[in-house]
Amino acid sequence: MIKMALEIIVMIKQVPDSSEVVIDPVTFTLNRGAARNVINPADENAVEQALKIKDANNDTHITVITMGPPFAESALLDCMAKGVDRGILVTDRAFAGADTYPTGLTLAATITKIGKFDIIFAGEESTDSSTGHVGPGVAEFLGIEQASYTSNSWVEDGKVFAERQLEDGVETVKMEPPCLITVLTNSNIPRNATLRMKIDAMKRGIETWTLADINLKPEWVGLKGSPTIVKSMKSIQEKKRAGKKFTPDQMDEFVDELISKGILKFGGD
Amino acid sequence: MVGLINAEPPANPDEYKNVMIFLESRDGKLKKPGLEMISVGSSIAHKVNEILIGIVFGDKVGDMVKEAGEYGCDRVIGYESPDLKDFRTIPYATLLSDLITELKPNILLIPATRNGRDLASRIAVRSRTGVTADCTELDIDPNGRILQARRPTYGESTLAEILCKRHRPQMATARPGIFAVPERKSDAKYESEIRKAKIKKEYLKKEIVDFKPKTTVDLTSAKYIVSGGLGLGKASGFNLIKQLADEIDAYVGASRPTVDMGWITRDHQVGQTGQSVRPQLYIACGISGKAQHLMGMKLSENIISINTDPNAEINSIADYIITADLYEVIPKLVAAIEKKKPQESATSTNAKTTKTKKVKAEESKSEDAN
Ligand SMILES: Cc1cc2nc3c(=O)[nH]c(=O)nc-3n(C[C@H](O)[C@H](O)[C@H](O)COP(=O)(O)OP(=O)(O)OC[C@H]3O[C@@H](n4cnc5c(N)ncnc54)[C@H](O)[C@@H]3O)c2cc1C
Ligand SMILES: Nc1ncnc2c1ncn2[C@@H]1O[C@H](COP(=O)(O)O)[C@@H](O)[C@H]1O
Repeated sequence: MIKMALEIIVMIKQVPDSSEVVIDPVTFTLNRGAARNVINPADENAVEQALKIKDANNDTHITVITMGPPFAESALLDCMAKGVDRGILVTDRAFAGADTYPTGLTLAATITKIGKFDIIFAGEESTDSSTGHVGPGVAEFLGIEQASYTSNSWVEDGKVFAERQLEDGVETVKMEPPCLITVLTNSNIPRNATLRMKIDAMKRGIETWTLADINLKPEWVGLKGSPTIVKSMKSIQEKKRAGKKFTPDQMDEFVDELISKGILKFGGD
Repeated sequence: MVGLINAEPPANPDEYKNVMIFLESRDGKLKKPGLEMISVGSSIAHKVNEILIGIVFGDKVGDMVKEAGEYGCDRVIGYESPDLKDFRTIPYATLLSDLITELKPNILLIPATRNGRDLASRIAVRSRTGVTADCTELDIDPNGRILQARRPTYGESTLAEILCKRHRPQMATARPGIFAVPERKSDAKYESEIRKAKIKKEYLKKEIVDFKPKTTVDLTSAKYIVSGGLGLGKASGFNLIKQLADEIDAYVGASRPTVDMGWITRDHQVGQTGQSVRPQLYIACGISGKAQHLMGMKLSENIISINTDPNAEINSIADYIITADLYEVIPKLVAAIEKKKPQESATSTNAKTTKTKKVKAEESKSEDAN
């Protein structure tokens, strides 16, 4: 088997920690203020997948990119501390309010500016917008093949293989690089960074790019470049439930009630 | 490939008419999530005197075209080619976007399955339009032009309405298990057309080298579900759950930690990272009712909670609450049901009946699997 030197790009997003996000039970709004920012869980698995490929293929070079606010720098540094070679933060006020179209466009323009690449990794979806559209969208902007919802991927004789988990089975695909792969949450166990690597990552630092660096028009990105708008948010009206109580010794009455209300039926349909 | 270019609204959005749906298939059979969009798609189209156009791709599509018509599409277009046998992003996206250019649909709906989302993401970019993911409600505004796409956010607590006012087509993916499959009518009237697809070699570079089917348990169409949680305490607890499930011809569900512990396979999992179910009756046994679990089952018609903790969160959405040890409650409940059952299945023949039922359930499960 020929080991290849590969150029890998991983797209990551910083999101509020969903285990800490508090939903107000009355107003049903999200209290993001209370939550810490973390790397989107599936993106942690995407970074690990890239590092595994690097472990198996010497001279592989990994760049991690994010479009986000300045404080997303910490997410990039965390990845560099695990063995990622380069981190690029694309940040600009013009990017605010982007839906999936301009987000994909901004990331694709960033990747074009980076230049050569063999594999792009993304997460299956982000916990805060959960569309899963950004990864495949980037593949479309760049005109490359994709494999989504993968639990594993590897490189063999210059070809990229990936295992897709579908509702009705597991599909293995073979692609020519360059291609894009989206990685399932929990598909691997992300490695930890050592203190030394953390210090080293801080020393190396990240690069910061703005709109001017990626050659897109201001009206193409952010809110202005978004075809969709959120018109309204309302709390989901839940069915009123009686919560009628029965004890274990009232099971006969209970079953009678279920049958009389038509909740339980035997035979027939 | 669109290149690095912005989303662009058409000069005249009113030229775009009708609702188009993409019907996913495998091995020449339409899958349920596609059929689920027929009722919602046609009600939107008919509300404004437009038609529902169903799109089917495959190696051979004759049977599927007929099926799509009989389920309620007003017009069905099938593309066939050996190259379309399996779903592959680029040939599928290319054909579908060519159809969009040709037919100019106002609305395009795609099931929010994994392949559906894979396809929808690329179509949206190629058509330079917007897409709303994983919708649970779809409607059209009274003027008949704008799709009102609603999707749960913030852990299913909030419903966001998302509009795509100027770009066309207006795209949405629909969450499986939410919209009902319409009735199939053999005398339905529809227009149909089967086209031979020619796919460029360069679009066929991705090879599917292996496919291992799995027989999944499709809980989304279950009428009754009995679910077990960590309160079972041990793997063998699921035997008790199965006993109750067999008694009422129910499917078995599970909370995520029981799956993580290896007590039951993942295709039984209900919740945010499992299946979204809405049976007529959901019996939660030893399940606390954390937000991620509730997300997948709170639309159930009726909910019974069996839990030792009177303050378990699940009780807040339960129609019936039994605060006791499930190991005491379930055998008593099973005995009470036995008594009420029609004679022939309540007596000694019961064991046999249950067995045949189980087999039947297995069969329909693999048929339903999508
Ligand atoms: C990103 C993410 C995604 C997730 N997705 C899902 C998902 O899809 N589905 C899901 O289910 N969870 C999911 N979870 C996990 C979820 O947060 C909860 O941890 C899980 O639902 C709890 O499972 P449980 O109710 O079985 O266990 P527990 O919370 O431990 O509850 C056990 C219950 O059993 C009761 N009990 C104990 N003994 C008995 C007895 N003898 N008789 C009766 N009752 C008894 C207890 O009172 C308790 O209420 C997810 C979590 C995260 C972070
Ligand atoms: N702002 C962003 N910066 C970098 N990558 C992103 C961004 N938004 C989304 N992604 C990537 O796209 C994936 C899918 O996100 P989404 O479409 O929002 O569900 C994520 O897991 C990331 O890999």
